[in-house]
Amino acid sequence: MIKDCSRFTRSRWFMLAFSVALGGVVLLASWLGGSLASGLIGLAVLTGFGLFVSLASGSETIRGLRGDGRDERFALMDLRATAIVGQVLIIAVIIGFLVEIARGHNGNPYGWLGALGGLSYVLAVAYFRWRG
Amino acid sequence: MKNQVRALRLQKDLAQGQLAEAMGVSRQTINSIENERYTPSLPLAIALARYFGVTVEEMFDDQGL
Repeated sequence: MIKDCSRFTRSRWFMLAFSVALGGVVLLASWLGGSLASGLIGLAVLTGFGLFVSLASGSETIRGLRGDGRDERFALMDLRATAIVGQVLIIAVIIGFLVEIARGHNGNPYGWLGALGGLSYVLAVAYFRWRG
Repeated sequence: MKNQVRALRLQKDLAQGQLAEAMGVSRQTINSIENERYTPSLPLAIALARYFGVTVEEMFDDQGL
């Protein structure tokens, strides 16, 4: 009896591909902004992280981050960790918004980020409620 | 949640890794279930019960609910 846990897993090379792709975008943006050197550093750091995660072995944490060692428990940990990240970012955005207002500015871009976060949350709740 | 996973596994003389492979989860997940640090999903609880030939109620103690 083998349960199908494929919905939790992904290729061990996914993180490397994602990191390199993100590094490429960082390089492009830096080049457009006239800072090619910092873009190359960003690409190198992201590629190094991707290589480390892809080639390391043994640790459940590494395999979970990479995706090939995931199961329902790690998916739940991932969900909880993502929720914590969301809460940290929301608090940071609110603090940034308040600081900007206190400095006599209009609160942006924190105001827009907060609005985007709040709207996303409401839409997500509505979607999951509709889906049942 | 209290459960009989460890006792049933040892009755079958299975290692955690062997049970984990049969269930399609990590060895750490089996360890967490046995140590009551992780409550498995309903599909995994049913799969475990079927694997050992017991009911879910026999495998998991719901007194704490």
